[in-house]
Amino acid sequence: MECKTNNSAVWRFTRRFIVLSLLYAVFSVLSTYGLLLWRPTSIAIWLLAVLPAIPIAMAVLLTGRYISEEKDDFQRAVLVQSLLGGIGATLVVTTAWGFLENYAHFQRLNILMLWPLYLVLVGISYGLVKARYR
Amino acid sequence: MKNRLKVLRAEQNWSQADLAERLEVSRQSVNAIETGKFDPSLPLAFRLARLFETTIEAIFTDEI
Repeated sequence: MECKTNNSAVWRFTRRFIVLSLLYAVFSVLSTYGLLLWRPTSIAIWLLAVLPAIPIAMAVLLTGRYISEEKDDFQRAVLVQSLLGGIGATLVVTTAWGFLENYAHFQRLNILMLWPLYLVLVGISYGLVKARYR
Repeated sequence: MKNRLKVLRAEQNWSQADLAERLEVSRQSVNAIETGKFDPSLPLAFRLARLFETTIEAIFTDEI
């Protein structure tokens, strides 16, 4: 995220977001192999299934914290607009895809692709928002 | 919102980066405000007015 400010909120946010993304990848692999190879029962299934969702919840909390910490109004506005764009685009894409799946025999979209899809769309949205203010 | 930020900045011989540093915001913020694409918050408008030793009304006008 391009920013040169005297406050380091954006850099702290970026660093932590990268760590959480890596954590998500590691937990996803652990969860997948745990569920497939270990074949756990009862509560262990739930624990392994919830594991990759923890970094996502933390990322949402981290975003909220950044928004409250960021002193630069413009940078905050850009991020909020990007997130809104990303959420909107994700809802539009998945809703349209759902109808295509149900009525046009399109391939089923793996629900686990939702988080990566959301991140990509937020990234695109961020680029568009920045271009608007250039 | 129209503003005289570019003129005031030029009078001080400051670049956008210089002004951004003094305001503790990003250079992109200064550029967005200068070009009228982004309206600053009231606290930032006060900081600008203090920095240029003038009033908010002397920097910003509500003309579109």
